[in-house]
Amino acid sequence: MESLRDIRQNIKAIRSTQQIMQTMKMISSARIRKAQQTMDNARPFAKKMLDMVADLKQEVLALPEPQDGTESWASRFFVNKTADAGKIGLVVITGDKGLAGSFNAVILRAAVAFLKENQDKEIAVFCIGKKGRDFIGRLKHKNIKIVYDSVGIFPKITYAHAELLGEAVMKEFFHNKLASVTLIYNDFKSMGSQRLVQQELLPFSLDQEVKQNDETEFLFEPNVSEIFRLLVPRLIKANMYRILLESQAANLAATMNAMDAASKNASDLADALGVKLNKVRQAGITNEILDIVNGANALNG
Amino acid sequence: MPKTLTLNLITPQKQLLNALPVQAVVLPAAEGEMGVLPGHIPMVVKLDFGSLRYTKDGKEEEFAVLGGFAEILRNAVNVFAEGADLADEINEEEEKQKIKRAKESLSNKDADIDFELAELEIKQAIARMKVKKRHLG
Repeated sequence: MESLRDIRQNIKAIRSTQQIMQTMKMISSARIRKAQQTMDNARPFAKKMLDMVADLKQEVLALPEPQDGTESWASRFFVNKTADAGKIGLVVITGDKGLAGSFNAVILRAAVAFLKENQDKEIAVFCIGKKGRDFIGRLKHKNIKIVYDSVGIFPKITYAHAELLGEAVMKEFFHNKLASVTLIYNDFKSMGSQRLVQQELLPFSLDQEVKQNDETEFLFEPNVSEIFRLLVPRLIKANMYRILLESQAANLAATMNAMDAASKNASDLADALGVKLNKVRQAGITNEILDIVNGANALNG
Repeated sequence: MPKTLTLNLITPQKQLLNALPVQAVVLPAAEGEMGVLPGHIPMVVKLDFGSLRYTKDGKEEEFAVLGGFAEILRNAVNVFAEGADLADEINEEEEKQKIKRAKESLSNKDADIDFELAELEIKQAIARMKVKKRHLG
């Protein structure tokens, strides 16, 4: 049987771990409010941009194309007919730390499935978050290459981070003629739940619902290609920004829930040990009394 | 013919104006300021650093816009700006400080700083100050 001292020590250890978990939960819940607000503020920009691209659909398809079989810069991001089908890109966004339940595991599982499915292609991977970078860095496959990574940026995402990531994705996409770029990240659904999202970012899909005055002809100032040169990077970056903020909020929510559950478990465990401690102590006392009574009886006998 | 335009002013960080009904908008287009009235033809314009003004019920409001572009469609003006500040909220003293700090870091050759960023900061501060001066009149 365990001694009283062992049990007491055990309880103490559990209680102090619980305190740490409680604190981590509080930190997450304090940060999440701000994260959620930034996210809500950033949502309209990305959404309106997509609406605008839908408006400009006709114009994109009518872009003047060079005659020598090459493709214009803007068209690459929409139609992308001169891409190399053997090359694709993947953006994986995980957290920097564990202790967030299945937050990272879900993403990495999806990433592995994606990589397996496309193992005959050259895959350029963009990793955000330490967990994803370390995990994918350990995969030794000749077709998988990490071309960009950024760690330790949570929970302080700014637009500058999105710009860096967006630049890197755009450069790789354009110069290495990637056929597509897919995103895997966790969407912030509510405080209690995250949703895994796997979505194709590039090329931009143009088959969105056709609006009624789709026939409208636009005037462009200074000219159409200049506008697209401006629009495409912003669209990518705005999307990246939104997605990073979604991940950030989702990560904080996951940490909060995981820590809440863990601290409840610790509390249950400590209570159970407390009961055991009392039992053991009581058993000891009963034994001592029995000894004394028996001894007295023997003397009187 | 509708009498009002719907104005949206959005930056990556924040939506500053959400579907505000206005009578007229002046945009800091790259090729010169451009006035927009209800019934304007569909258009996409590149914006420069400069002043965005709108008239609502006879009153004029002004923003300092730091580049971007605007879409005019279906009687709505959607302004996608890199940054935007309400002219009334611009503090000239603060902007001067920003310029001073950026210039200091530019003159410090050893420091590991981003020259482009520092220069951009100066440009932005100057643009904000210009709009503020214009606004005061």
